[in-house]
Order: sequence, then C-alpha cells, then structure tokens
Amino acid sequence: MARLSTVHHEDLAADSGLTPDAGSALHRLRASLPESFRSRIRSARELVREVREVQEEEEPLATAVPALDRLLEGGLPRGQLVELIGARSSGRFSALLAVLAAATGVGEAAALVDLGDGLDPETAATMGVDLERLLWVRPAKLKDALAATEMLLASGFPLVVLDLGPPPVRGGRGAEAAWLRLARTARAHGAALLVGSPYRVSGTASAVVLKAGRARAAWLGGDEGSPRLLGGVASRITLEKCRRRLPGQTEELALAPKEAPLPAAPPPARPLRPARREEAPVVPLVLRRAAAG
Amino acid sequence: MGSPRIACVSLPLFPLAARLRSEPELIREALVIVEGNGNAARVVAATRLARNAGIRPGATLPQARALCPKLVARPRDEECERAAQEALFEVAETFSPRVEDAGEGTVFLDVDGIERHFRGPTPELDLGRALLAAAEAAGLPARAGIASSKLAAQVAAGLPDSPVIVPVGEEAAFLAPLPLARLTPEVDLASTLERWGVRSIGDFARLPKSRVASRLGTTGRELHTTARGIDPRPLIPREPPPAFHEGMSLEWPLVSLEPFLFVGRAALDRLCQRLESRGLACVRLGLELRLEPDGHQTRSIDLPAPTRDVKTLLTLVRLDLEARPPGAPVAGFTFVAHPDRPRQAQLSLYGPPALSPDKLATTLARLFALLGPDRVGSPRPVDGHSPERFALVEYAPPPPPEVRREPRTGRGLLAVRVLRPPLELEVITEEARAEDQDSAALLPIEVRTLVSGTSDKRLRIEGAVKVASGPWGLEEEWWTEDPAGRDYWDVEIAGAGIYRIYRDRASGGWYADGIYD
Repeated sequence: MARLSTVHHEDLAADSGLTPDAGSALHRLRASLPESFRSRIRSARELVREVREVQEEEEPLATAVPALDRLLEGGLPRGQLVELIGARSSGRFSALLAVLAAATGVGEAAALVDLGDGLDPETAATMGVDLERLLWVRPAKLKDALAATEMLLASGFPLVVLDLGPPPVRGGRGAEAAWLRLARTARAHGAALLVGSPYRVSGTASAVVLKAGRARAAWLGGDEGSPRLLGGVASRITLEKCRRRLPGQTEELALAPKEAPLPAAPPPARPLRPARREEAPVVPLVLRRAAAG
Repeated sequence: MGSPRIACVSLPLFPLAARLRSEPELIREALVIVEGNGNAARVVAATRLARNAGIRPGATLPQARALCPKLVARPRDEECERAAQEALFEVAETFSPRVEDAGEGTVFLDVDGIERHFRGPTPELDLGRALLAAAEAAGLPARAGIASSKLAAQVAAGLPDSPVIVPVGEEAAFLAPLPLARLTPEVDLASTLERWGVRSIGDFARLPKSRVASRLGTTGRELHTTARGIDPRPLIPREPPPAFHEGMSLEWPLVSLEPFLFVGRAALDRLCQRLESRGLACVRLGLELRLEPDGHQTRSIDLPAPTRDVKTLLTLVRLDLEARPPGAPVAGFTFVAHPDRPRQAQLSLYGPPALSPDKLATTLARLFALLGPDRVGSPRPVDGHSPERFALVEYAPPPPPEVRREPRTGRGLLAVRVLRPPLELEVITEEARAEDQDSAALLPIEVRTLVSGTSDKRLRIEGAVKVASGPWGLEEEWWTEDPAGRDYWDVEIAGAGIYRIYRDRASGGWYADGIYD
C-alpha cells in the first residue's frame, strides 16, 4: 500500500512535468507488473481526463424549458441523476412533462414512473408529449417505483422521469443505497434520470439538485362582474447542488394554463453567480391574454 | 430426376438419451431406464457403466441391482422423450426445411443439394459431421447416415463410426453383407429366415421374390423389396409444431417452490434454446403441473411481448406460483411455449437509437409481474370530460425518425396533477345571494380534507381560500342512470397551492381532483 502511495505521488509529479525522473515512474511500475495489472494503474490526472472525455462526448438531453436548460447548461446530463424539488403548485410536474415532451418530440423513447398517479394523458398530449413514445408506469409504493426505474434505466430508455407525487410520499424517502444504485445504473447505461420530489430524497446520489420555490399565482378578471380566471403561475428555480459549479444560480419559470397561453418570451439572462439568499428580487409576472369568453 | 438424398439422424438408446438430456449430471452414474412397476420393472436402456457391470436390456430391476448395488434407476419419462424428439426435429430443421418425424429418436431429412454448402472433398461426410455436431450441441448424442432411401439411411445411422454415407446406387451393395437383424426389428421373421440359412440381407435379396411372397406373405414381400435396396416410402415432412414443450416427471414430488424453480430453470433454458434455434420467442407460456397423488393443474402466463429471456420467464413463473400455489406436491411438469416472431428494430445512423425489442419485452414482462398489467402501458386520452379518465394500451413505440429532430421550445403550459381517486373535502362556502340556493351562488372560503380511514396517509388540503374562480359546470352522460354533474372551482389556498375542486350535484359532496403544479 505504501509503495502504491509513493508511486501515486511520483506519478502526479511526472504528469505535471515537475520532475522528469518521476515521469518514468509510472512506466517502470507498469513494466514491473504482470500484464493483467498494467491497465489498472492510473494516475489521478488520467482518471479525471477520462471522466471529462466521457462527459464531453455525451450531448445533454435538451429539456425545451429555457429556465432548466440554462441552469443545466444545455439540458439533462446523460448518465446522471438530476433531482427537481418542488412543493405543491411549484410547477414541478409541468416541468417534468415539458422535459418528456422535448424528449419524445425529437423521437426518443421516454418513461414516466408516476408514483403519484397524477398524469392526465390529455394534458400531456396538449403539452406536446408524444404518447406513443411514452411508457407510463404507475407503481403504488416507493419501493416498487425504485425497482421499476432501475429496470427501465437498464433496458435502454434514454430518459426516465420518476415523479414521487405530492407530499406525503408513499414509502418515505427510500434508502440511500437505492438512490445510489439508480445513479450507478443511469451512469452505466448513459441514461438521463430526472427525479421530481417534494423534498430532497436522493442524498449524495444526485449530480444536480434544482429547487422550485413557492409559486405565485396570477388571477385575471374578477372586477365589474367579470369572472376570475387563473392566468398562470410563476416560481423561481434555484440550483441547489451541482458537482461542477457553485450553486445558487436562479431562473424564473412562468407557466400558464392551456386556455391562457403565456407569450414565450424568455426572461432575461442572469449572471452565473450565487443569488442572495436573504431577499431574492421578485420578478413581476406579466400576463397577456385574450379577452375571456 | 436423380435419386433423392435422405439423411437419417437417430438417437441410440433413445429413452436413456432423453433422460440424460434432462438430467445431464447422471451421465457419470450407472443409470438404467426401466419400464414397468416395482420388481416387475425391466431395463430398457443402460449407460456404459451399467452395461460394463453386466446389465442388459430386458433384465428386471432386482437382477440389475444385484449386479450393480450403486445402480440409479429412472422410469421412462414421456415428457423427456417428447422434448428430446422435438429438439432433434428442430436440429434437423436447421439443415433442411423438409424433415420427417419418425418418432422414437429418429428423424429423416431431405438433404438433396445441401452438400453444396460444404466445400471439402467429401461434402456429404462433412454434412453428416455437421448434423452430429448440431445434435451434440443440443445435448443429443446422435448417429447419422445418408443414403438414397429412408431405409438405407436408417440402417446406416445404426452403424458405429457415424456418420456413414451410402453412395448413390450402392444401397443394395451396402445392405448385402449386413445381418438381417439390421433390416427388421421383427425378431420372429429374422429368426425364421436364420433357420432357413438366410443370414445376411444379401442372402435374402437373392431369393426369388415370388417364393418369398408365397411363404412369408405381404410382410415378407415388402422386406424382400427393401433388402434389394428399394424403398418406395416417400419422405413425409412434418409441419412445425404450434407450441414447444419441455418438462419432466420428478423422481420425488416437490412441495416447496425453490427446488421446483431449480429444475424448472433448466427446462426453460432448453426451451429458450430451441426457440432461439428457430428464430422465435415465447409470447405465452403455459405450465402444466401433474400433482400427487393425482390431478392436473394448468396455468397460462401471457407476456406483453415475445421474449426468450429465461430470467424473466422464471420470475413470472415464480410470481404466478406464489400467487396461486398448486395446493399439492408436484410430481411432474411441462412448460408449453406458444411461439411468435420476436420484434425487430432497424438501427438508425443519424436518428435517436431505438430500444432493443428483446430488452423492452423483458422489461415490460418484469414490470407486469411487479406491478400488474393495469399499471404499465402507453397512456391515451379517453373521450369525455372527467379528468380522471384515461386508457392504457400496449407500449409499442414507433421507430425513431431517421434524422434527429431539433427540440422545440416548450410552450410554458401549466399542467394539472390529477388526484386519483378524488380527495373528499369539507368546504365552507359563502352564499353570494341568500335567496338563490343554486350552486352558482356558492363561493368556497375555507377548505379542509375529510379524514377517513383510507385518506389518513394521503394528501391533506387545509386553509382559507385566498382566491376562488368558478363555478365551471360539467355535465356528462345525462342519458345514463349514473350521470356526472359537477361544479368546478379553481381555488388558491394561502401558502398551500392551487387546486381544482368540485361539488357533486347529486350528492352535494365536495372533492379535489387536481393540483395545478
């Protein structure tokens, strides 16, 4: 063990080009080992390079939700677990369906493991989900949902969305080991795994955690005898955890019912810096809608 | 038209070969296959170890045990023999589409022209060797013979140093030096001829045809014709079976699941290999159980898509047996695979990758087993206005586009998360117009979930209504006895979300059936 540790340091030095003598240490070590062990010796730098190359090769899966794409730097990373947390009416479910619509819209197959059993096929079709390419799985327990998700990831689905439904989640948070297994399976098969939950469940297994804040509803009408109408919902999505970046970046998510579509004007881009936690600026939700009735 | 070329593949000691195919671990034992019951059981076939101990076919079981105390005895098993016969037939079908099933471990193939696939100096010999290798790979130690008639091919297949090739037109010369016993299994006729001094097939063929017919009748005349190398029987090809069988009778009745799955797995392995050899997969798996002391049980497992995955099939069998135990010890079993063509997928160079049909079928089958068939599928909307309605259809995604499409920017639509079943509520309302009791006059001002035994662990909605929008009427199926009449409101509850609630016009009860999320 001590010998390996020594070589590790020499190797690092060699790779950094500091000591030319140490540069051949790795070669000498490899030459001294049996054939079957040579390929297993890696320097830390080589390992990092390999991981980066793999990540760069895989094009992310675009979500078609501008706020999510900006936070995820292009889309859902393949082979990783992304968790989207959101309380009731935070827009979490709409975001998940939009991701499914984007994936099935480009011709990919996708699976929705719907623990909350909340999918309305008509709504999904309206949002652009190609229902023929969507496999809907309706487990009754979290344990079954995790098992089903693992099977789907292993069977080659490029996108699996697991929605845990509104709180309380049936079956608690699940075992940490189960989430790690899911992350490992997603990585092994290069599949994007998006988990929607009311609170953090995946622990250290997730590569990215996004949190949808409390929703602000916009109502139309209601004065002079005109009927009130739900005009839309806006919430703020925050990057809570990311393995490659500092967390804190926020984006605005604006949603409108199908009867009152919002203009698809993207909110202004924000600088990549942590948001102030004490008091986030409130972006007014501007609604434009054709006259009701 | 030249002479046809017919190959015969036969399994010597067929009952023994069939048993060893199902229980290969017995090959190193002194094993005999017996027919009959108790001490009257007689040996039908024996392994080399048992034959070396002096055991011969026809000996009784006590005699055999006296010669070899460590003898392992197994009764003849129809299931094993049927499966071995089918497997042999399928091996033959991989070489020729015209195969006749002669039963008892023998099949005939029309191999006319097939030798052209073998480029060596002795193409028919190479074809025979290939037949033997294929049979060996299926666990069948066979012998093969190729000739221009079925009879000559069968006799050739019975000889050692297999495969034996009989050149065209040399059938009579090939048969002539062989003993008459090779020609006819009817011992009485052979012994009669031997008493006449006729010992070989050639001797018999030299006798005048009319004399043989007058002394031995029709049987003698037919035998004389075959002894001259003339076999008028044509090859009668068999249609492929509608189902594949694999099973065995168990030495001891099994009462627990794990030992049954252990032997069942081996049978499923063999079944799937047979399906694979014909490019088929199993779309429905039947299981026939023979119970102790008597009785049968049959069950059928439907698969969402054709599959050959043994692990999946075994899981489904396990779940089915756990859900519905047989209720008696199992003395024998047969798996019946109903075949179908497996799904094919065209790979795309520039489009998104398609799902592997095999993997998808396996996953769907496992999901069905885990969750039930009503919980897995492709969603479809249903005509009508009730939001909780939906339909599930079989998941069979269309092939991906040839070129990857560009993703479109989402429309930013707000979805409703449906609550199934609707959540029962207690709603305090305000009467907008006191003189009018119509529901249009009601305005929800406070909402509370009704706590019942079933809803304890479900979502709770509680709080004062901040904004309410409605009512929006829904009437459906008014022509039926159970029409749906609802008045919907969209309500925002302070700090607790936006919900879609309704009041049932018939009962007056309040429910929440969706969350704007």
